Amino acid sequence: MLFIVCALHCEARPVIEALGLKRDSTSNAFEIYSSDRYCLIVSGMGVINASSAVTYLLTKNLFDNHTDMLINFGSCAGKEPGLYLINKITDSATGRDYYPDLLYDLSSYGLPITSERALVTSYKVVSGLEDPDKLYEMEAAAVFSAASRFVSPHRMVFLKFVSDQGVDDPKEITPEFLTACASTYTPALLEVFRALSLMVEPVTRFDEELFRKTCEELRASKTMTHQIRALFTYAEVSGQDLAALLSSLHEEGKLPARSKREGKVVLDEIRNQLL
Amino acid sequence: MRSETSSFNFPFSHIYVEEEIRDHELTKSILSRFSKSVEIPIRHYKDVFNRPHQSFRLQKNSPSLILAKSKGSHIYKGAPVCQDFGFDHFYYTSSVMNCIFDCEYCYLRGMYGSGNVVVFVNLEDTFSELEELLKLHPVYLCISFDTDLIGLESLTGFVDRWVEFTRTHENLTIEIRTKSFRKDIYDKTPSCERVIFAYTISPQAIIDKFEKRTASLTERLVAASRAIEKGFTVRLCFDPVIYTKNWKDLYSSMFLEVIKYIDGHQLKDVSIGSFRISAEYIKKLRSDFPASEICQFPYENRGGYMQYPQELQNEMEKHVFTLLQSFISEDKIYMTDYREKA
Ligand code: SF4
Repeated sequence: MLFIVCALHCEARPVIEALGLKRDSTSNAFEIYSSDRYCLIVSGMGVINASSAVTYLLTKNLFDNHTDMLINFGSCAGKEPGLYLINKITDSATGRDYYPDLLYDLSSYGLPITSERALVTSYKVVSGLEDPDKLYEMEAAAVFSAASRFVSPHRMVFLKFVSDQGVDDPKEITPEFLTACASTYTPALLEVFRALSLMVEPVTRFDEELFRKTCEELRASKTMTHQIRALFTYAEVSGQDLAALLSSLHEEGKLPARSKREGKVVLDEIRNQLL
Repeated sequence: MRSETSSFNFPFSHIYVEEEIRDHELTKSILSRFSKSVEIPIRHYKDVFNRPHQSFRLQKNSPSLILAKSKGSHIYKGAPVCQDFGFDHFYYTSSVMNCIFDCEYCYLRGMYGSGNVVVFVNLEDTFSELEELLKLHPVYLCISFDTDLIGLESLTGFVDRWVEFTRTHENLTIEIRTKSFRKDIYDKTPSCERVIFAYTISPQAIIDKFEKRTASLTERLVAASRAIEKGFTVRLCFDPVIYTKNWKDLYSSMFLEVIKYIDGHQLKDVSIGSFRISAEYIKKLRSDFPASEICQFPYENRGGYMQYPQELQNEMEKHVFTLLQSFISEDKIYMTDYREKA
């Protein structure tokens, strides 16, 4: 699942439409739009909103660090228009820096490492660029900080598009203007989302049912259960057919064991066969 | 599923640099070699290295480089699981954290939360501290402890500087543990017999399976023999001895390779130790490396260290010991006696 955090509905609209996301009517604290692969939350502007939205999203949905991604996208102030990948986020109030882990090569999706920038999360709309090499917005530091309790840094991706170079009056940036900007970058964003949704890491799983049955048949104590789990995992990763071994123990009448003592003896036999 | 390796950034594509050492000569020289990488200024290396929930496993596919300043003490007393080879004042130092190689059993995977490589550029501060220590007593110092320093030599030049420092400090002996193929070091650096190059020797099948990106068995043996030829002191470490179904055959044929390249009488000594790892570290390894045969092996916890079942461990160590008896005199064979010290 790709969890997407976006500050304003007007920025999110082109993505919601392009992905065909449906409003989640069970959520009344925040606007949430989802499908079977995406879940987008509209946080509202500023660090407090962003932080609450991320916490809400991640407590409502169990984040899986092997398969899920958390994406924060939206507009920012910067020198040149473009879509940027963020490699450092500074909270302007606390001075604290956050670093997403940029392990994946997104160059074939329009985001080479030259598109990376440092970003400053400001507590008010910026009227100019204090450092012209940096980007300025109002949520990313809070998103990172709130998510870092649950989410691996390589599973957080910050994508920002430049809408302006800082403005004296926030009203100069109209919702229509932001929607138009976001629309420009939506095809590129969708490509990146597609790439990120494929970054799934393998997890070793063995037959849980067989494991439970074996524990019962060996009359396993807590310690033995632990040892049986270790043997099941080892058999799986070393490519050994544990199911066949167990069924031959059945044929020999050694399983199910008649007592805990007998169970221990059979467990030793299983271990010796596997090692 | 998408192939993981095809989608990673190139190694050291991101270089994090502590602001304090941005103008250090070594920082500048390292950065000049990576024109395609992104430089990211940081305040303290721990801001990047100690982030929660990092994936050591995935970071090994695209490690970042962190250039930092080592602060406080740089020299530490050796731990009980380390072989001290009879030296009273056994120390280690870490001018680099983490390694460019990728051994499946590496304890660094359990020790560090990050697979990124930290280079402490201020080696001169370690030298100053060591000079003070050397005024008190002779020192035996492992300098390639939480890394493989030779593997990073073209980046840091640390090995060269250590050999030079050792040559001019008579009561210092250093050990440089490695799995690298590099032998040019021995050609260009004047020798010093108090510099011990310790080669980890494993069967080729173990190297292929569990010691990724390291030199082949033959390359290690060729490099070790060049070191001997050039007057350096060499130790071979049959440690860790790793279990696989056909371990006995693998270690026997490895021994035949060893004697092809190395004359045992020219070695300082050899060490033998089967694989063991702190019980604390294995927990992290098992969760980070769910598909690793070494991590998921059902070890026994003895004295806080996860080890092969006693009988198997004895058999493995005895087998290697027996092979080595015809190769080097027994008083030069060190068995890692971590069980008593643990
Ligand atoms: S060479 Fe040594 S430090 Fe490097 S990965 Fe292998 S075991 Fe770890």
